[in-house]
Amino acid sequence: MKKIQFPAHMCQEFQRIAQEHKIYLEGNILKVIEHVSYPPFDEYIQAAKENDQNNRKKRLEVTKQVQEQNKQLTKSHEENEKLMADLKIALEEAENAKTSIEQQNQELKDSQAENEQLMTDLKEALEKAENAKKSAESDLDLIQKKTQFELIGNIVSYALYVIVGTGVITTALYVMAILHGSTETTLIGNTWSNLFGILLTNSFSIIGTIMGVKYASKDEPKSNT
Amino acid sequence: MIQSILLVDDENLFHLVFEDACSLLDISLTLESVSSADEAEKMFKDWMGHPEEKPEVAFVDLNIVGSSFDGIELIRRINFQYGNGVVIGIISSSADQTEISRAVQAGAQFWIVKSDDIEPRLEEFKEDYSGYKNRSAAFKVYK
Repeated sequence: MKKIQFPAHMCQEFQRIAQEHKIYLEGNILKVIEHVSYPPFDEYIQAAKENDQNNRKKRLEVTKQVQEQNKQLTKSHEENEKLMADLKIALEEAENAKTSIEQQNQELKDSQAENEQLMTDLKEALEKAENAKKSAESDLDLIQKKTQFELIGNIVSYALYVIVGTGVITTALYVMAILHGSTETTLIGNTWSNLFGILLTNSFSIIGTIMGVKYASKDEPKSNT
Repeated sequence: MIQSILLVDDENLFHLVFEDACSLLDISLTLESVSSADEAEKMFKDWMGHPEEKPEVAFVDLNIVGSSFDGIELIRRINFQYGNGVVIGIISSSADQTEISRAVQAGAQFWIVKSDDIEPRLEEFKEDYSGYKNRSAAFKVYK
């Protein structure tokens, strides 16, 4: 690269400004200046380069510090973002867990309601079964009693038929004997009265037996006395 | 002294650090910094018609945020599509061996590991530069 040369008066002007205001040329321009036309300008160029280097050193230090702070800030930012992401995930997991628990809770409630309904149905079924059992027992008892009453009725009826029939036949024989002028009416009369007495006795015996059976078949609690 | 350097890095603060470090070490006369690989590719495309304007050295970051491709792909394109003649390498905080191998395959000549204290590595690079320029120096990683 071709270097540049400043005329002597310009070099003097640069030196004057440097002396009066400490203002120097800076940067890469210093690398392309030739100063053979004005040898005292070497001192100025040297001072300008030193000044430039000092400024660059300071700037480099500051830039490195800023760079380091920037790295730390970036790292903190990344950590914060990671924390936020973790927090978000934890929050989502908590929300999901909450939803799941609520769902399970609802299912448990539904299950409890179903169980309660089942218990109610079971109680109702049990009551119905108890009622049916009672009803069946009652019906069975009724049927048994009815059967007993019918049997008793039949026995009484047949017994009465036999008694009345025997009485009627005997009476008829006795009447016929009287009407035909039989001499043996005394014997027949005695026989008739005896027979009638026996029949009455037997009738009352039968009735008494029936009443006893009926009394014994009652479900009332019996005292031990 | 290197006549011109191109820095491709998405971190603007590093532009300042690199510029000041190069100036203090008197490495280069001029330095240009860009923040994306796409922008750098466009510049190299333009320089195909004006090869004299091409930089002598290009320092390329590995992962350039906001770019369509990474630094290694940029090096590959510069070397194989836009004509080489540029000393080119990676400057990255990473030192992953797989990426280093990729960079070598793409035609990178050096790998500088970025750190808080970049000056010693740049000074070492400055000493090796002539070898890179005449293509006699082997690939090197500056840690």
